[in-house]
Amino acid sequence: MKIEIINKSFSYTAKTFCVFLISLFLIFAFQLQAQTSREYSIKAVFLYNFTQFIDWPATAFSNAESPFIIGILGDDPFHASLDEAVAGEKVKDHPITVQRYQDVKDITTCHILFINRKEEGKMKEILSALSGKNVLTVSDMADFAAIGGIVRFASEKNKIRLQINLPASKNAELNISSKLLQVADIVR
Amino acid sequence: MNDNRSAIQRKLMGLVLVTSGVVLLLTCVGFFSYEFFTFRQSSKERLSTLGEVISANSTGALAFDSHENATEILEALKAEEHIVAAGLYDKKGNLFARYPGNFPKYNLPLHPAGDGYNYKNGYLEGFQAVIQENNRLGTLYLRSDMNAIYTRFERYGLISLLVVAVSIFVAFLLSRQLQKKISEPILALAKTASNISNQKDYTVRAKKFDDDELGVLTDAFNQMLIQIEKQNAEILSFNHALELKVNERTLELEQANIELKLRSEFEETVIDSSVDIIAVFDREFNYVSLNKSGKTAFGITDKDVIGKNILEVFPQLKTSVMYHYLQKVFETGEMILDQRYDSHVSDLIMQNFFIPLLDKDNMVYRVLVIGHDITEISKTHEQLKQLNSELEKSNLNLEQFAFIASHDLQEPLRKIQTFSQLLERDLDNKESIKRHLSKIISSAGRMTDLIKAVLNYSRLSNEKGDYEEVDLKQVLDSVTSDLELKIIEKEAVINARDLPVIYGNPLQLTQLFLNLISNSIKFSEKKPEISISSVIIDKREATATDGFNYNGTCVELIFKDNGIGFEQHYAEKIFTVFQRLHGKQDYPGTGIGLALCKKIVDNHDGQISVKSAPGEGTEFKILLPANLSNKH
Repeated sequence: MKIEIINKSFSYTAKTFCVFLISLFLIFAFQLQAQTSREYSIKAVFLYNFTQFIDWPATAFSNAESPFIIGILGDDPFHASLDEAVAGEKVKDHPITVQRYQDVKDITTCHILFINRKEEGKMKEILSALSGKNVLTVSDMADFAAIGGIVRFASEKNKIRLQINLPASKNAELNISSKLLQVADIVR
Repeated sequence: MNDNRSAIQRKLMGLVLVTSGVVLLLTCVGFFSYEFFTFRQSSKERLSTLGEVISANSTGALAFDSHENATEILEALKAEEHIVAAGLYDKKGNLFARYPGNFPKYNLPLHPAGDGYNYKNGYLEGFQAVIQENNRLGTLYLRSDMNAIYTRFERYGLISLLVVAVSIFVAFLLSRQLQKKISEPILALAKTASNISNQKDYTVRAKKFDDDELGVLTDAFNQMLIQIEKQNAEILSFNHALELKVNERTLELEQANIELKLRSEFEETVIDSSVDIIAVFDREFNYVSLNKSGKTAFGITDKDVIGKNILEVFPQLKTSVMYHYLQKVFETGEMILDQRYDSHVSDLIMQNFFIPLLDKDNMVYRVLVIGHDITEISKTHEQLKQLNSELEKSNLNLEQFAFIASHDLQEPLRKIQTFSQLLERDLDNKESIKRHLSKIISSAGRMTDLIKAVLNYSRLSNEKGDYEEVDLKQVLDSVTSDLELKIIEKEAVINARDLPVIYGNPLQLTQLFLNLISNSIKFSEKKPEISISSVIIDKREATATDGFNYNGTCVELIFKDNGIGFEQHYAEKIFTVFQRLHGKQDYPGTGIGLALCKKIVDNHDGQISVKSAPGEGTEFKILLPANLSNKH
């Protein structure tokens, strides 16, 4: 009802223009949203797929049935898609759970940690905190692998490429399958 | 295969070669089928294994969406030449990567189907899951061609061929040597057997090679030979004894034969030398033998008659008495004598004896016919009969003649007697003496005439005289000249036409003409007119008109006058001796003239007849054969 009252005060042309702009904005925003969510849903699947190409040492689990934890540090760009991707899945006998952290200190047990690119400034702190832990660090921030992260999602021609820092993975005592290495770029 | 080898050797080798060939072939076929199926199976397995490797390798690419990597992995299939196409499908079933890179999408399945590999459309193809840690990431599709199988089979075929060829060759070499083991004893045995059958030498023995069945056969063969040899010896000795016996018998037989031959020759000579025809017939009326006389008489040889039926040789005998008697003798078994038989085969006249020949059961098995030639006897008999009848006739004539002669001759004698007595009584009367004497002289003259005539007649009866061609015209001329005085005296006229020349006795014919013409002149009261005509007629005409039976042409002579004539019923009588129709006073004559005429015509095998009536004249018809040469 309020809109109708406003409509009476605007001219028809202005009104149409207004609707057009709003519509345009909505469509753009929606598309952006859709693109972002499609990219991250793929990345979510990738995160899950890592569990199948990478072996964690048995010591990373407190017992045979303790959960396999995928953590998100910082803002969650996946929304529900990661939860959907891993829902009901297991790594060996470990049920997969998703944990969200705002700070690196919150992390107690984690097997894969996706680090939001906004956390770039805190990288040194985060990496040193995770040093010696069997955690696969993943992020889509630039130079992630070069600065000590293990796996970087690199967008390239609308596709996602993987960059892997092998020494870092060694440090984390993670055994990455050669099949995974084949599809990834190795960074030193 | 060069073939100085024997049939059995060839057969044995053939056996071995065929057997090994068939076995090899079957083995090859078995091997090939086994290969075919196992290779199909193993191809499937190999493809599956390859699929495992590819799919294991491609998990990363699928998991992390790396088309390059997936394509790269599929490119590795290059090493497998039989892989024609491959496709990698993602979790959702969309084509993710393909091999070869430019392989048309539409030739690949749009979406994956059930897992597993199968032969289809000449390819081996199928799907395989791409799994990482129990997690299906996608599907791999592989398509392989069958060239592998074909290549493999080609290679196998080549090898098999080589193996078979070598095997057959080895089998040939082996069989060439090994067959000798069997063939040699058999060949040796066969050679021995053929040698024995060719040379009849039973002392040879077959060589024994081994103690197998062939050895046993050889032993049995040799045993048989021993037996044969033994029997041969026995047969030979038996034969020898038999030969001696045969020789002995032959000698005896030859002796007997010679004797028999001599006897048979003797008999044959006797039979052949017989003038009678001797023939023997068997039950089928076939000639068994015919002697020389018979062959001569019938003009035939042994070849023409012996063993042949009598009717086959002489068909004309079918209706003969001879054939009839021959049948009869076979039926009755009694001898028959046919006194007279006019042969149907020759012109002989036979006297036939039909003598049955009896076998031991008293059955007639043959008939002996003896033909005695009585042709000559028969002819003589006929002649005798004819002569006899002639003699009888002559006798009758003579009796008649004697009776008549005595009567007629007595008459002038009685006259002489009577007038002599009268003369004796009247010796004084000169007148009466003269009268009586003249009577006596006249009677004596008459008697002389009579005696002369009788002599003439009898002479005619006794001799035939010589026959020659006689011109009747000349005969008539001679007669008219003899009768000239009488002709002139009685003014007689004689007309004659066409008198022929015939074959006869000229003197007798002259006598005939003289008697007939003088008779005509004598028995006439007016001037005599005599016509003589002649016609030549053939046999048939003569037979028809006068019953005259003669073979050939005839001459008919007709003497016709205008004299006193006589009753027709005297026509026969007038030809008899001393038969007179008129008194001596009216018409003087001896009464012998016409009898003489008949005699002459008879002598010429002719016929004389007369036709007359008182006062009407007389007509004599005389038939004479124109030619008598064939009769005399």
